[in-house]
Amino acid sequence: MTGPPEDRMTELRQLFFESAGELVQKLNDEAMRLEKSPGHAETARSLRRTVHTLKGDAAACGFRELSELAHEFEDVLALENTAAAASVPEIALRAADVFAALLEAYRTGTKLPSIQSLRADIARLAHPVPGGAGKAKKTKKKAAKITNRWSEYEQLAIARAAATGKPVHHVVVQVDPQCAMPIAGRQMIQFALAGLGEVLALYPVEGSHEPITRIEAALASEKPAEQIRAKCSIPTIALTVRVTPVRIQTLSTTALPLVSGADSARNDEVAPSEGGAADITADITSGIASKEAAATGEPAVAPAMPTGPDNLLRVDAERIDSVLNLVGELILAKSMLQQALLEFGQRFPKDVLRGKFADAMAFQGRVLNDLQHSVMKIRMVPVDQLFRRFPRIVRDVGRHCGKEVELLIRGGQTDLDKSILDAIAEPLTHLVRNAIGHGLETAEERVRAGKRPQGTLRLGAYHQGNQVVIEVSDDGSGIDSEKVRQRALSQRLLNAEQAARLSETETLDLILQPGFSTAEEITELSGRGVGLDVVQSVLGRLKGTIQIETAPGRGTTFRLRLPLTLAIIRALMFRVEQRLYALPLNTVAEIARTVEGDIHQVEHYDVLQLRNDVLPLLRLGSKPPSGPERARRKVFVLVINSGERKFGVIVDGLEGEDELVIKALDDQSITTDLVSGASILGDGRVVLILNMIALMDRFTRGRTDANGPRMDGLLSSVVPAASSIESGNRRARGAAGGLA
Amino acid sequence: MNKPVRVLVVDDSALMRKLIPKILEQDASIEVVGTAIDGHFGLKKIDDLSPDVVTLDLEMPGLNGIDTLKEIMRRWRLPVIVVSSHSTAGAAITLKALTLGAFDFVAKPKDVSARMPEIAGELIKKIRAAAQSAGVQTQFLPGEVGGKQPGKLRPVAPTHIIAIGVSTGGPNALQYLFSKLPVEFSGSILVVQHMPDGFTELFAKRLDESCPIRVKEAQSGDLLVAGRALICPGNRHMKAKKLPLGNVVLLGDDTPVNGHRPSVDVLFHSVAEEFGSQAMGLLMTGMGEDGAAGLGEIRAAGGFTVAQSQETCVVFGMPKAAIERGYAMRVADLQELPSILQAQCTPDQGRGGDGTRGDTSEVKRATTSGSN
Repeated sequence: MTGPPEDRMTELRQLFFESAGELVQKLNDEAMRLEKSPGHAETARSLRRTVHTLKGDAAACGFRELSELAHEFEDVLALENTAAAASVPEIALRAADVFAALLEAYRTGTKLPSIQSLRADIARLAHPVPGGAGKAKKTKKKAAKITNRWSEYEQLAIARAAATGKPVHHVVVQVDPQCAMPIAGRQMIQFALAGLGEVLALYPVEGSHEPITRIEAALASEKPAEQIRAKCSIPTIALTVRVTPVRIQTLSTTALPLVSGADSARNDEVAPSEGGAADITADITSGIASKEAAATGEPAVAPAMPTGPDNLLRVDAERIDSVLNLVGELILAKSMLQQALLEFGQRFPKDVLRGKFADAMAFQGRVLNDLQHSVMKIRMVPVDQLFRRFPRIVRDVGRHCGKEVELLIRGGQTDLDKSILDAIAEPLTHLVRNAIGHGLETAEERVRAGKRPQGTLRLGAYHQGNQVVIEVSDDGSGIDSEKVRQRALSQRLLNAEQAARLSETETLDLILQPGFSTAEEITELSGRGVGLDVVQSVLGRLKGTIQIETAPGRGTTFRLRLPLTLAIIRALMFRVEQRLYALPLNTVAEIARTVEGDIHQVEHYDVLQLRNDVLPLLRLGSKPPSGPERARRKVFVLVINSGERKFGVIVDGLEGEDELVIKALDDQSITTDLVSGASILGDGRVVLILNMIALMDRFTRGRTDANGPRMDGLLSSVVPAASSIESGNRRARGAAGGLA
Repeated sequence: MNKPVRVLVVDDSALMRKLIPKILEQDASIEVVGTAIDGHFGLKKIDDLSPDVVTLDLEMPGLNGIDTLKEIMRRWRLPVIVVSSHSTAGAAITLKALTLGAFDFVAKPKDVSARMPEIAGELIKKIRAAAQSAGVQTQFLPGEVGGKQPGKLRPVAPTHIIAIGVSTGGPNALQYLFSKLPVEFSGSILVVQHMPDGFTELFAKRLDESCPIRVKEAQSGDLLVAGRALICPGNRHMKAKKLPLGNVVLLGDDTPVNGHRPSVDVLFHSVAEEFGSQAMGLLMTGMGEDGAAGLGEIRAAGGFTVAQSQETCVVFGMPKAAIERGYAMRVADLQELPSILQAQCTPDQGRGGDGTRGDTSEVKRATTSGSN
């Protein structure tokens, strides 16, 4: 499976972004844990290890900035005192943000974010300015002064010159940053120095690659310092010149001869020269070394729990999707077989083969069912993957708003389709921010209301039928529906007449409308202009619903209902004007049989008296011409109960229920948002799957539309498009594309 | 080699667990039989899969690399190649791993897309060498090295220049050799140890702290003095040079020689040229043949040349190349080397052992072997 190098690298990069994202998340978790229990050694170690892994991975992929930054951070964390510093969690969180931003920039190939401020934070962590580190700093300074870059040989030369009575000067020339040719400048300075005496050392050495910003020389010369300074002050090259006497620290005042002969002074006891330069350096450096040794002398780590099963496979989501698609095809094939079997049975009702076929079919059906569920399970991931981001978000938003918030998470193990999970990340974040920013009161307000000063935010997930419910609830002040109504009026989202007609639930739903905001001021956190309508639209795309529940003074709950998966639905199929449509079965609360005569008109609406309720109706087809025929015409009403809203859909006939494998439709074949996808039945017929949210939307809009409702013939425009699909249904089947 | 080398990759980074096998799959003679996320799983997988070679990350949650390595050494003595990170802490722990018996180490792959051939080449070579090595030798493992008070440097010109070239297995071999040289050792030692940038400084410090002689990572202009070993820094070349006031080493950034920087040949060549008969060349354990030609030059210039014996080499590559070409005047076991070095630096061999504290028997043995 050795692919071409480019492929390999692409794959590697992908893997990197995935695992790096996880590492950043881990860093967030660990930082927050460390914030809760400051100085906890095991957490600090694990945090450092996370940074370490990120560094290594980034380096492997050639992402230098990230790797270097992580490296700096890791090094600082390795220092004994900093690991326990109180500011570590804060900086780690900021690092996590910067790392994430860098990753994003790498991934999208956009400009890298600035890392300077984080870098400064890290540096401050390493060298806290006030107190404490003074000693370490001093040592460093001393080291810099003593080594002074003179090599052993140069020190020897300096000592020799000094011993012969020649003063040795340390000349430092700051090179003019405007100097166009620093290399030539260095040459000029060298000439000038050579004219003054013996140049014992000159840095940067010739041919070195380091930028020449400063030239340092050891010059043995009888000339006075002032003259040396004057000679070196070459305009346009030298910015400043400093001449000081070289401090003599030498190996020995006697020159070392060449390798001595056989009877060299091997046994001579040479008194160890006090303060030999090499030794001083060695002392300083060994001091550092032993400190490092102490830092890395890994204390025995308590045998930790194994970190999880190692036989986890990391598989590209696309591969699973393609398996799921194939399963979808198999389900189609099953329907075709069933159809064939049906026909066979009709033609040869007595044939024994029929029973055999039926048995085999039943068996195959069971296996297929299991297969489908297994594959769908692969796509399922625990909601916790998303929820674990929230402690950080809640902390940050809470801080920003000056509110103390306790986050309670439950149901993290609830499984949900990965693509859905990814899609709701943003809306959920929005809801959480909203809950903290607008839902929860400040501590003072809470105390005044007789509540705990600390607000509570709950995130929960659970399965219900073949749906997943995700709840965001706060124990804040709740939503005042009257206020919402007023606000909507003042923002001209509706007129007074419409407003008066709205039920409680419908009023609350107004906050999901574009452009609606109840907050007194727009906060940075909840975003400007972008409101809860984003949440609504994402949920619509996902065939999910949102429901708002509020109790004044006690809090608000946003309840998102999502399908377990987008790929296969159990649907109820029905006919409208000879055409086949389907609705997710779970949205249909009941089916009522009636005749057109029982459908009444109330203010332009079709309504049906269903037991004690008056059910508003939505007509998908066009209204049949009036007359005695019409009153007797049998129709079905599908009672849709979605969230708190209930309405009926008038259809001509029922076709049955089945598992439908949804095929995405491209924009060209269908122009209305009323249809969210299509599926192909075993006999080759195409069924269009209706979009619940859009239907509901029409329903609401119809009710509040000042220009009069248009509650029938909704699907008339869809028909031509549908026939085009049917004619090309092979194509549609071939293009078994994505999952919407 | 008909049977592929079976490798187990132990690393806590998901990326590395993918990348290392990818690097290795380029070579048909190597098969990655498994990966493990930490030490616990690593040990379990060794039990299940019985690999020939293990690549080991040292920074892992759960059972960390060092403890894992100890366990591997205790139970299987498998050759382990440490995949080491670039930080200072990484270097320290890597060197510790070597003293515990790790076969060799590679730096964590860096910038893979640009340097793939280079990275792959090194790792594959080391894994192959590890698979061919005769298991882990524990006799020369220094174990936990104790600290010592660094002695004062004696600014004394050396009697001889001893140039040492060494690669895989070098850290432990040098540790052994230097720990047996007395503080008053009169030669000046120059070492090229194939080791990446960032490791040599700490390596030199470790040796300095644990051996009687002084050891230092070389800087350009360092003097050759008696009783001190200069270790060439990673990623630079080191040459010896005579200057009016004394002898120094110079570091350079010329292109790699024999695929190596530092290269043993570069050092040996300069030593042969500058010091001739006052030079001694010693080629020790390591793969490849860097230094073989240089050893020949030292011999041709009148110097003394020694190659480490196959029995005591972790990898018998460089010494073998020199021996096969007839460049080694002597082939010696690692245990013999301290006395050979001392004898070489002691013109009157009878006096060599006098007054030295400690291993007198060793010295005596050396004297006899040295005079043969």
